[in-house]
Amino acid sequence: MAFCKIVDVLYSALPLRPLRDLLIRKHMEACPLCQARLASRAEARGLFVAPYEVGNAADLWGRISARAAQEADTPDREPAPAGARWRWAAAAATAAVVAVTGFWLLREVERPGFDAASAAPADRFQIDYVNVGGAPAQTFVYQPQGSDTVFVWAQKTP
Amino acid sequence: MDEQELIQGCLRGSSASCRALVESYGNLVMSVALNVVGNRQDAEDICQDSFLQVFRHLGRYDPARSFKTWLLTIVYRRSLDMIKKKRRFTEFSVRARFEPAVAGRGGNPHPADPEPLPSDLLKGLSPRERTALCLWANEGYTAKDIAEVLACSSSTARVYLFNARRKIKILLENGHGLLQNS
Repeated sequence: MAFCKIVDVLYSALPLRPLRDLLIRKHMEACPLCQARLASRAEARGLFVAPYEVGNAADLWGRISARAAQEADTPDREPAPAGARWRWAAAAATAAVVAVTGFWLLREVERPGFDAASAAPADRFQIDYVNVGGAPAQTFVYQPQGSDTVFVWAQKTP
Repeated sequence: MDEQELIQGCLRGSSASCRALVESYGNLVMSVALNVVGNRQDAEDICQDSFLQVFRHLGRYDPARSFKTWLLTIVYRRSLDMIKKKRRFTEFSVRARFEPAVAGRGGNPHPADPEPLPSDLLKGLSPRERTALCLWANEGYTAKDIAEVLACSSSTARVYLFNARRKIKILLENGHGLLQNS
Protein backbone atom coordinates (compact mmCIF):
# COMPACT_ATOMS: atom_id res chain seq x y z
CA MET A 1 0.00 0.00 0.00
CA ALA A 2 2.86 2.35 0.93
CA PHE A 3 4.52 1.53 -2.37
CA CYS A 4 1.32 2.49 -4.21
CA LYS A 5 1.41 5.89 -2.47
CA ILE A 6 5.05 6.35 -3.51
CA VAL A 7 4.04 5.54 -7.09
CA ASP A 8 1.24 8.12 -6.85
CA VAL A 9 3.66 10.77 -5.60
CA LEU A 10 6.19 9.88 -8.29
CA TYR A 11 3.44 9.98 -10.90
CA SER A 12 2.58 13.56 -10.05
CA ALA A 13 6.25 14.55 -9.62
CA LEU A 14 7.73 13.10 -12.81
CA PRO A 15 8.06 15.79 -15.43
CA LEU A 16 7.98 13.66 -18.59
CA ARG A 17 4.79 12.01 -19.70
CA PRO A 18 6.42 8.88 -21.20
CA LEU A 19 8.13 8.26 -17.84
CA ARG A 20 4.85 8.73 -15.98
CA ASP A 21 3.08 6.42 -18.42
CA LEU A 22 5.74 3.75 -18.04
CA LEU A 23 5.62 3.99 -14.25
CA ILE A 24 1.84 3.78 -14.01
CA ARG A 25 1.60 0.96 -16.54
CA LYS A 26 4.29 -1.18 -14.92
CA HIS A 27 2.80 -0.62 -11.49
CA MET A 28 -0.83 -1.15 -12.45
CA GLU A 29 -0.06 -4.37 -14.28
CA ALA A 30 1.71 -5.82 -11.26
CA CYS A 31 -0.20 -4.43 -8.27
CA PRO A 32 -3.39 -6.32 -7.30
CA LEU A 33 -4.40 -3.55 -4.86
CA CYS A 34 -4.37 -0.91 -7.56
CA GLN A 35 -6.15 -3.21 -9.99
CA ALA A 36 -8.94 -3.52 -7.44
CA ARG A 37 -9.22 0.28 -7.49
CA LEU A 38 -10.09 0.30 -11.22
CA ALA A 39 -13.65 0.43 -12.52
CA SER A 40 -14.82 -2.92 -13.85
CA ARG A 41 -16.14 -3.46 -17.36
CA ALA A 42 -19.70 -3.72 -16.04
CA GLU A 43 -19.38 -0.48 -14.07
CA ALA A 44 -17.98 1.32 -17.11
CA ARG A 45 -20.62 -0.12 -19.42
CA GLY A 46 -23.33 1.35 -17.21
CA LEU A 47 -22.08 4.87 -18.00
CA PHE A 48 -22.17 4.55 -21.78
CA VAL A 49 -24.97 4.36 -24.29
CA ALA A 50 -25.04 0.91 -25.91
CA PRO A 51 -25.49 0.53 -29.69
CA TYR A 52 -28.92 -1.08 -29.27
CA GLU A 53 -30.14 1.98 -27.33
CA VAL A 54 -29.52 4.62 -29.97
CA GLY A 55 -32.51 4.08 -32.23
CA ASN A 56 -33.19 3.21 -35.82
CA ALA A 57 -30.33 3.17 -38.33
CA ALA A 58 -32.81 3.23 -41.24
CA ASP A 59 -33.50 6.94 -40.52
CA LEU A 60 -29.79 7.51 -40.69
CA TRP A 61 -29.58 6.08 -44.21
CA GLY A 62 -32.28 8.55 -45.37
CA ARG A 63 -30.27 11.51 -44.08
CA ILE A 64 -26.99 10.21 -45.44
CA SER A 65 -28.38 9.52 -48.91
CA ALA A 66 -29.98 12.99 -48.99
CA ARG A 67 -26.65 14.60 -48.09
CA ALA A 68 -24.78 12.43 -50.59
CA ALA A 69 -27.22 13.50 -53.32
CA GLN A 70 -26.83 17.15 -52.29
CA GLU A 71 -23.04 16.86 -52.46
CA ALA A 72 -23.25 15.14 -55.84
CA ASP A 73 -25.24 18.11 -57.20
CA THR A 74 -22.67 20.66 -56.09
CA PRO A 75 -19.43 20.78 -58.12
CA ASP A 76 -16.79 18.63 -56.49
CA ARG A 77 -13.83 20.51 -55.10
CA GLU A 78 -10.87 18.40 -54.11
CA PRO A 79 -9.70 19.47 -50.66
CA ALA A 80 -6.04 20.39 -50.44
CA PRO A 81 -4.11 17.56 -48.80
CA ALA A 82 -2.55 18.32 -45.43
CA GLY A 83 0.99 18.11 -46.85
CA ALA A 84 0.20 20.70 -49.52
CA ARG A 85 -1.09 23.08 -46.86
CA TRP A 86 2.17 22.76 -44.93
CA ARG A 87 4.16 23.36 -48.10
CA TRP A 88 2.19 26.55 -48.77
CA ALA A 89 2.75 27.68 -45.18
CA ALA A 90 6.51 26.99 -45.46
CA ALA A 91 6.69 28.88 -48.79
CA ALA A 92 4.82 31.87 -47.29
CA ALA A 93 7.14 31.89 -44.25
CA THR A 94 10.24 31.76 -46.51
CA ALA A 95 8.88 34.60 -48.65
CA ALA A 96 8.25 36.68 -45.52
CA VAL A 97 11.81 36.05 -44.24
CA VAL A 98 13.29 36.96 -47.65
CA ALA A 99 11.18 40.15 -47.82
CA VAL A 100 12.16 41.27 -44.30
CA THR A 101 15.86 40.50 -44.92
CA GLY A 102 15.78 42.35 -48.26
CA PHE A 103 14.12 45.37 -46.69
CA TRP A 104 16.71 45.43 -43.90
CA LEU A 105 19.61 45.15 -46.36
CA LEU A 106 18.20 47.97 -48.48
CA ARG A 107 17.93 50.18 -45.42
CA GLU A 108 21.53 49.35 -44.50
CA VAL A 109 22.76 50.27 -47.98
CA GLU A 110 20.91 53.57 -47.85
CA ARG A 111 22.76 54.56 -44.67
CA PRO A 112 25.52 57.24 -45.08
CA GLY A 113 28.39 54.78 -44.76
CA PHE A 114 27.25 52.95 -47.90
CA ASP A 115 27.13 56.03 -50.08
CA ALA A 116 30.26 56.06 -52.29
CA ALA A 117 30.39 59.86 -52.53
CA SER A 118 30.03 60.42 -48.80
CA ALA A 119 32.57 57.70 -48.08
CA ALA A 120 35.23 59.54 -50.03
CA PRO A 121 38.18 60.56 -47.84
CA ALA A 122 37.86 64.25 -48.70
CA ASP A 123 34.56 64.52 -46.89
CA ARG A 124 35.94 63.47 -43.61
CA PHE A 125 39.69 63.79 -43.79
CA GLN A 126 41.70 66.49 -45.40
CA ILE A 127 45.46 67.07 -45.58
CA ASP A 128 46.63 70.39 -46.91
CA TYR A 129 50.33 69.88 -46.85
CA VAL A 130 52.74 67.10 -45.87
CA ASN A 131 56.48 67.54 -45.50
CA VAL A 132 58.96 64.68 -45.24
CA GLY A 133 62.62 65.59 -44.49
CA GLY A 134 61.92 69.27 -45.06
CA ALA A 135 60.52 68.72 -48.51
CA PRO A 136 56.98 68.28 -49.80
CA ALA A 137 56.07 64.59 -49.85
CA GLN A 138 53.94 62.39 -51.99
CA THR A 139 50.88 61.57 -49.94
CA PHE A 140 48.26 58.89 -50.46
CA VAL A 141 45.07 58.79 -48.41
CA TYR A 142 42.92 55.68 -48.38
CA GLN A 143 39.70 55.01 -46.52
CA PRO A 144 38.05 51.60 -47.03
CA GLN A 145 34.40 51.79 -48.00
CA GLY A 146 32.11 51.75 -44.98
CA SER A 147 34.97 52.11 -42.51
CA ASP A 148 36.05 55.00 -40.30
CA THR A 149 39.73 54.06 -40.54
CA VAL A 150 41.88 56.28 -42.72
CA PHE A 151 45.31 55.18 -44.00
CA VAL A 152 47.81 57.92 -44.83
CA TRP A 153 50.93 56.99 -46.75
CA ALA A 154 53.57 59.69 -47.20
CA GLN A 155 56.92 59.28 -48.93
CA LYS A 156 59.74 61.46 -50.12
CA THR A 157 59.22 62.84 -53.55
CA PRO A 158 61.78 61.11 -55.80
CA MET B 1 -24.39 -10.74 -47.69
CA ASP B 2 -21.13 -10.68 -45.73
CA GLU B 3 -19.05 -7.61 -44.92
CA GLN B 4 -16.59 -7.95 -47.81
CA GLU B 5 -19.44 -8.37 -50.32
CA LEU B 6 -21.08 -5.23 -48.91
CA ILE B 7 -17.82 -3.32 -49.29
CA GLN B 8 -17.37 -4.55 -52.85
CA GLY B 9 -20.95 -3.51 -53.58
CA CYS B 10 -20.31 -0.04 -52.17
CA LEU B 11 -17.17 0.24 -54.29
CA ARG B 12 -19.25 -0.58 -57.37
CA GLY B 13 -21.65 2.21 -56.34
CA SER B 14 -24.54 -0.03 -55.31
CA SER B 15 -27.03 1.97 -53.26
CA ALA B 16 -28.43 -1.20 -51.67
CA SER B 17 -24.96 -2.17 -50.39
CA CYS B 18 -24.38 1.32 -49.00
CA ARG B 19 -27.73 1.18 -47.25
CA ALA B 20 -27.00 -2.27 -45.83
CA LEU B 21 -23.62 -1.05 -44.57
CA VAL B 22 -25.23 1.92 -42.81
CA GLU B 23 -27.88 -0.33 -41.30
CA SER B 24 -25.22 -2.79 -40.09
CA TYR B 25 -22.95 -0.23 -38.48
CA GLY B 26 -25.22 2.80 -37.95
CA ASN B 27 -26.06 2.06 -34.32
CA LEU B 28 -22.45 1.29 -33.44
CA VAL B 29 -21.19 4.50 -35.04
CA MET B 30 -23.94 6.55 -33.41
CA SER B 31 -23.27 5.10 -29.96
CA VAL B 32 -19.50 5.66 -30.16
CA ALA B 33 -19.96 9.25 -31.39
CA LEU B 34 -22.57 9.91 -28.71
CA ASN B 35 -20.34 8.47 -25.99
CA VAL B 36 -17.35 10.55 -27.09
CA VAL B 37 -19.05 13.92 -27.66
CA GLY B 38 -21.95 13.46 -25.19
CA ASN B 39 -24.43 15.29 -27.39
CA ARG B 40 -27.04 13.74 -29.67
CA GLN B 41 -27.15 16.48 -32.31
CA ASP B 42 -23.38 16.48 -32.71
CA ALA B 43 -23.28 12.69 -32.69
CA GLU B 44 -25.76 12.59 -35.59
CA ASP B 45 -23.63 15.03 -37.58
CA ILE B 46 -20.52 12.96 -36.86
CA CYS B 47 -22.38 9.83 -37.90
CA GLN B 48 -23.41 11.28 -41.26
CA ASP B 49 -19.98 12.78 -41.92
CA SER B 50 -18.26 9.52 -41.03
CA PHE B 51 -20.36 7.41 -43.39
CA LEU B 52 -19.97 9.94 -46.20
CA GLN B 53 -16.22 9.85 -45.66
CA VAL B 54 -16.29 6.06 -45.65
CA PHE B 55 -18.13 5.96 -48.99
CA ARG B 56 -15.81 8.57 -50.47
CA HIS B 57 -12.60 6.83 -49.41
CA LEU B 58 -13.62 3.19 -49.35
CA GLY B 59 -10.99 2.53 -52.05
CA ARG B 60 -8.30 3.25 -49.45
CA TYR B 61 -9.59 0.61 -47.02
CA ASP B 62 -7.15 -2.25 -46.56
CA PRO B 63 -9.15 -5.54 -46.49
CA ALA B 64 -6.41 -7.10 -44.32
CA ARG B 65 -7.55 -4.84 -41.47
CA SER B 66 -10.82 -4.95 -39.59
CA PHE B 67 -13.46 -2.82 -41.29
CA LYS B 68 -15.09 -2.04 -37.96
CA THR B 69 -11.82 -0.69 -36.54
CA TRP B 70 -11.22 1.39 -39.70
CA LEU B 71 -14.72 2.81 -39.43
CA LEU B 72 -14.32 3.58 -35.72
CA THR B 73 -11.01 5.34 -36.44
CA ILE B 74 -12.87 7.68 -38.77
CA VAL B 75 -15.63 8.20 -36.19
CA TYR B 76 -13.07 8.95 -33.48
CA ARG B 77 -11.25 11.51 -35.63
CA ARG B 78 -14.52 13.17 -36.62
CA SER B 79 -15.51 13.31 -32.96
CA LEU B 80 -12.22 14.96 -32.01
CA ASP B 81 -12.74 17.49 -34.81
CA MET B 82 -16.22 18.23 -33.49
CA ILE B 83 -14.94 18.66 -29.92
CA LYS B 84 -12.21 21.06 -31.11
CA LYS B 85 -14.73 23.00 -33.19
CA LYS B 86 -17.08 23.33 -30.21
CA ARG B 87 -14.22 24.37 -27.94
CA ARG B 88 -13.15 27.08 -30.39
CA PHE B 89 -16.74 28.29 -30.65
CA THR B 90 -17.12 28.35 -26.86
CA GLU B 91 -13.87 30.30 -26.46
CA PHE B 92 -15.00 32.73 -29.14
CA SER B 93 -18.41 33.23 -27.53
CA VAL B 94 -16.79 33.81 -24.12
CA ARG B 95 -14.59 36.48 -25.69
CA ALA B 96 -17.53 37.99 -27.51
CA ARG B 97 -19.38 38.13 -24.15
CA PHE B 98 -22.58 36.48 -25.18
CA GLU B 99 -24.19 33.28 -24.07
CA PRO B 100 -23.99 30.68 -26.84
CA ALA B 101 -27.09 28.75 -27.72
CA VAL B 102 -25.32 25.41 -27.80
CA ALA B 103 -22.14 25.78 -25.70
CA GLY B 104 -22.09 23.79 -22.50
CA ARG B 105 -24.95 21.62 -23.65
CA GLY B 106 -23.64 18.47 -22.11
CA GLY B 107 -26.77 16.66 -21.11
CA ASN B 108 -30.10 16.08 -22.74
CA PRO B 109 -31.45 19.41 -24.04
CA HIS B 110 -35.05 18.15 -23.92
CA PRO B 111 -35.90 16.72 -20.50
CA ALA B 112 -38.95 15.00 -21.93
CA ASP B 113 -36.83 13.38 -24.62
CA PRO B 114 -36.51 9.67 -23.79
CA GLU B 115 -33.31 9.27 -25.84
CA PRO B 116 -30.49 7.93 -23.62
CA LEU B 117 -27.31 9.94 -23.08
CA PRO B 118 -23.94 8.95 -21.60
CA SER B 119 -23.34 9.65 -17.92
CA ASP B 120 -22.13 13.07 -16.78
CA LEU B 121 -19.30 11.31 -14.93
CA LEU B 122 -17.62 10.82 -18.30
CA LYS B 123 -17.03 14.56 -18.53
CA GLY B 124 -14.16 14.02 -16.08
CA LEU B 125 -12.27 12.09 -18.77
CA SER B 126 -10.38 13.37 -21.78
CA PRO B 127 -11.79 12.43 -25.23
CA ARG B 128 -9.03 9.83 -25.65
CA GLU B 129 -9.74 8.26 -22.28
CA ARG B 130 -13.48 8.30 -22.99
CA THR B 131 -12.99 6.61 -26.36
CA ALA B 132 -10.63 3.99 -24.90
CA LEU B 133 -13.03 3.21 -22.08
CA CYS B 134 -16.06 3.11 -24.39
CA LEU B 135 -14.40 0.70 -26.82
CA TRP B 136 -13.18 -1.48 -23.96
CA ALA B 137 -16.49 -1.57 -22.11
CA ASN B 138 -18.99 -1.66 -24.98
CA GLU B 139 -17.10 -3.38 -27.77
CA GLY B 140 -14.72 -5.57 -25.74
CA TYR B 141 -11.74 -4.06 -27.52
CA THR B 142 -8.22 -4.93 -26.31
CA ALA B 143 -5.46 -2.35 -25.86
CA LYS B 144 -4.11 -3.30 -29.30
CA ASP B 145 -7.45 -2.59 -31.02
CA ILE B 146 -7.90 0.64 -29.07
CA ALA B 147 -4.38 1.69 -30.08
CA GLU B 148 -5.33 1.23 -33.74
CA VAL B 149 -8.37 3.49 -33.36
CA LEU B 150 -6.53 6.14 -31.32
CA ALA B 151 -3.42 5.94 -33.56
CA CYS B 152 -1.04 5.38 -30.66
CA SER B 153 1.01 2.51 -29.23
CA SER B 154 -0.61 -0.34 -27.29
CA SER B 155 1.13 0.72 -24.08
CA THR B 156 -0.17 4.27 -24.44
CA ALA B 157 -3.68 2.92 -25.03
CA ARG B 158 -3.29 0.82 -21.88
CA VAL B 159 -2.34 3.94 -19.91
CA TYR B 160 -5.41 5.79 -21.23
CA LEU B 161 -7.53 2.85 -20.16
CA PHE B 162 -5.93 2.60 -16.70
CA ASN B 163 -6.37 6.32 -16.10
CA ALA B 164 -9.97 6.27 -17.31
CA ARG B 165 -10.88 3.27 -15.15
CA ARG B 166 -9.17 4.78 -12.10
CA LYS B 167 -10.87 8.17 -12.51
CA ILE B 168 -14.27 6.56 -13.06
CA LYS B 169 -13.85 4.37 -9.99
CA ILE B 170 -13.04 7.42 -7.85
CA LEU B 171 -15.98 9.35 -9.32
CA LEU B 172 -18.32 6.42 -8.73
CA GLU B 173 -17.12 6.04 -5.13
CA ASN B 174 -17.50 9.78 -4.50
CA GLY B 175 -20.97 9.70 -6.02
CA HIS B 176 -21.97 6.83 -3.74
CA GLY B 177 -20.45 8.67 -0.77
CA LEU B 178 -22.53 11.73 -1.55
CA LEU B 179 -25.67 9.65 -1.85
CA GLN B 180 -24.99 7.93 1.47
CA ASN B 181 -24.30 11.26 3.22
CA SER B 182 -27.44 12.94 1.91
